[in-house]
Amino acid sequence: MTDPTDFELLELATPYALDAVTDDERAVIERRVAAAPRAVADAFHSEVRTVRETMTAVSASTALEPPAHLRSQVLAVVAKPKRQFPWRKTLLAAAAAVVIGLGAVGVGLALRPAQTQSTAEQVFAAHDVHTVSGQIPGGGTATVIFSRNKNAGVLVMNDVPKPKTGTVYQMWLMNDHGPESAGTMDAQQVGPSTTAVLPDLRNSTALAFTVEPGTGSAEPTTPIIAKLPLT
Amino acid sequence: MTTGRRPLCYGAMTRSPQVDEDLAALLHRVADQDADAFAALYDRTRARVFGLVTRVVCDRGYSEEITQEVYLQVWQNAANFDPDAGSALAWLLTLAHRRAVDRVRAEQAATQRDSRYATATAERAADVVADSAIVREERRQVAECLDSLTDTQRESIELAYYAGLTYSQVSERLSANLATIKSRMRDGLRALRNCLGVP
Repeated sequence: MTDPTDFELLELATPYALDAVTDDERAVIERRVAAAPRAVADAFHSEVRTVRETMTAVSASTALEPPAHLRSQVLAVVAKPKRQFPWRKTLLAAAAAVVIGLGAVGVGLALRPAQTQSTAEQVFAAHDVHTVSGQIPGGGTATVIFSRNKNAGVLVMNDVPKPKTGTVYQMWLMNDHGPESAGTMDAQQVGPSTTAVLPDLRNSTALAFTVEPGTGSAEPTTPIIAKLPLT
Repeated sequence: MTTGRRPLCYGAMTRSPQVDEDLAALLHRVADQDADAFAALYDRTRARVFGLVTRVVCDRGYSEEITQEVYLQVWQNAANFDPDAGSALAWLLTLAHRRAVDRVRAEQAATQRDSRYATATAERAADVVADSAIVREERRQVAECLDSLTDTQRESIELAYYAGLTYSQVSERLSANLATIKSRMRDGLRALRNCLGVP
């Protein structure tokens, strides 16, 4: 037995499957399906499945080869980062300061037995994960995958040339108070694909790059060569 | 048996099940955090994902970002894939489409596109997907099936699926009532399904 509201619900299966509903409508539909008689729910899911398989077949007509650099970016972030550690060390000092500030929250986390998720994994799993990419003058791309909820990001640099002898790349988190150092990378640390964790974004609005002499500076002494907005 | 339509539907019908079984197996390995399987999955699906996202967001820079987010989501959530609920490729494209539509709607709400994408989109890429005979055949077949819909059916589906409009917005845009739009979408999808031989 289907009543008129069940029929009306089934009519929404196609728009639902096409993502042609608002977030609110989607939530309402899902609640109604969950509360509907088994047969109605089955019919709804079956229709959704069919529409999605049909549009999957249609996707053959929109197939488009992505640029090659996207492959290294996608794969770099899931690979266990090998080159991350030297640079990470510089960042850990900053991270330590934050951990102290966390107080009770930090203790709560420490008591959990298997807290194995790395910062990077937490960022990738976050609901508000965002990605921003830009090109570095001189070659290569820099990508930041970040989450405001997790207050952290992961920087991936691909095919960026090594800094000249006697200089380092320095990263700066830009905020209302000006640039704040987020670590440096010397020639040894920059590889074909370099990953680093940005553990504390706070209210920074951008990640900027400069080339600094020696082992880095307290504040930028050269013009910014690239800037990725963290918005 | 739809014998009369057989030649038209040959490509999709004969090829998909085996291919998809492989993708499902890859997804299971990805769920175990197998990076090699992840790379293989990316290579097998990237053109479908990137192409669909690009069609929706109409911006290569956004599309690269969203594609990257989609695969991160796959890496994190591959264990959620349920073969009983649909094919592996459909699962992946559902994630991709949803993210693309979310982005388009967020952009429309904010009505701003800042300059940061200028650099990201400046880079040229090979626009041409590996142009194998199978790919050409699939494209031709889909194009024929899309052509077989009525204009109003096709328009309703395209505005919803590619332009990211909700069915209410589609109804406003086309000055047709909601019931009409819903039935155009449903009938259009059924026709497409039959034409493409989707089980």
